[in-house]
Amino acid sequence: MDQERFISLVKAEQEPLRRFLLGLCCGDAALADDIAQDALVRAYVASGSFLGLSKFSTWLFRIAYNCYIDHCRKPGRDYDDLDSREAVAVPSDDASDGRFRYQMLYQALEKLPEKEKAAIVLFYFEDKSIKEISAILGMPSGTVKYELNQGRGHLRQYISL
Amino acid sequence: MKDLEQYLRDNKPVVKDDPTFLLETRHRLEAVEGIKGEVDRQRRSGRKALVAALAGGLALGAGLSALGFLYPVNPDSVGQGILDSLCLFVQHYREYLLLPTALLAIGLGLVLFKGKGSLSGSGF
Repeated sequence: MDQERFISLVKAEQEPLRRFLLGLCCGDAALADDIAQDALVRAYVASGSFLGLSKFSTWLFRIAYNCYIDHCRKPGRDYDDLDSREAVAVPSDDASDGRFRYQMLYQALEKLPEKEKAAIVLFYFEDKSIKEISAILGMPSGTVKYELNQGRGHLRQYISL
Repeated sequence: MKDLEQYLRDNKPVVKDDPTFLLETRHRLEAVEGIKGEVDRQRRSGRKALVAALAGGLALGAGLSALGFLYPVNPDSVGQGILDSLCLFVQHYREYLLLPTALLAIGLGLVLFKGKGSLSGSGF
């Protein structure tokens, strides 16, 4: 795949990809973008192995998820305070209320195990089907449903609605 | 349950529109292309060197074999003599042989280290 074709495919996918990683990184936009850039480079290097058997977005999300997992496994990973993170642009007139809601959501997401968090983010933020999530996370559909159930259960404990 | 699902769907993270993101991606991909080109160039030159070494080895081997066939000698009478003279030569000139050997090893080490450093220092 040549560079221009790759860039044109990425143009369409960059926003969902960055949003997916922003959810996984619990609101740390700089880290999410760093991981997204790493994922895009990895995807470009491996683009010869993309056979079109799955959607380009599914393939790209899988690479991005693997990059995120690699980042999590890195020794000496920073655990910065959620309060100090800049809240992303909030689609609300009441900025402070919106900021608080995002903070609550990210704090709850941060407490979830990685697989549950990834399943929740993909299902609710990216509107991916169970089949797609199964392909991205590399687990059977039944396990995805289980992780979603577990994630919802945990989130209900952490978020007071 | 429905409340939570609605809450999650209503609070999708919103990414800031960042025009520099794709620009940065393009720069990184160009860097990858540069590295790919360099790796290809090194692979090609390595392949050429391998083919040249193979051809040289074959030619040398063929030449020596031809010499062996053309001028056969008695191995018992010559073999012992060559080994003896070689041992004597090393014994006599070992001080002088040690220095170039050591220099050669150090030089080879430096060349290998430099080659490795130039690859890892490419910033990728």
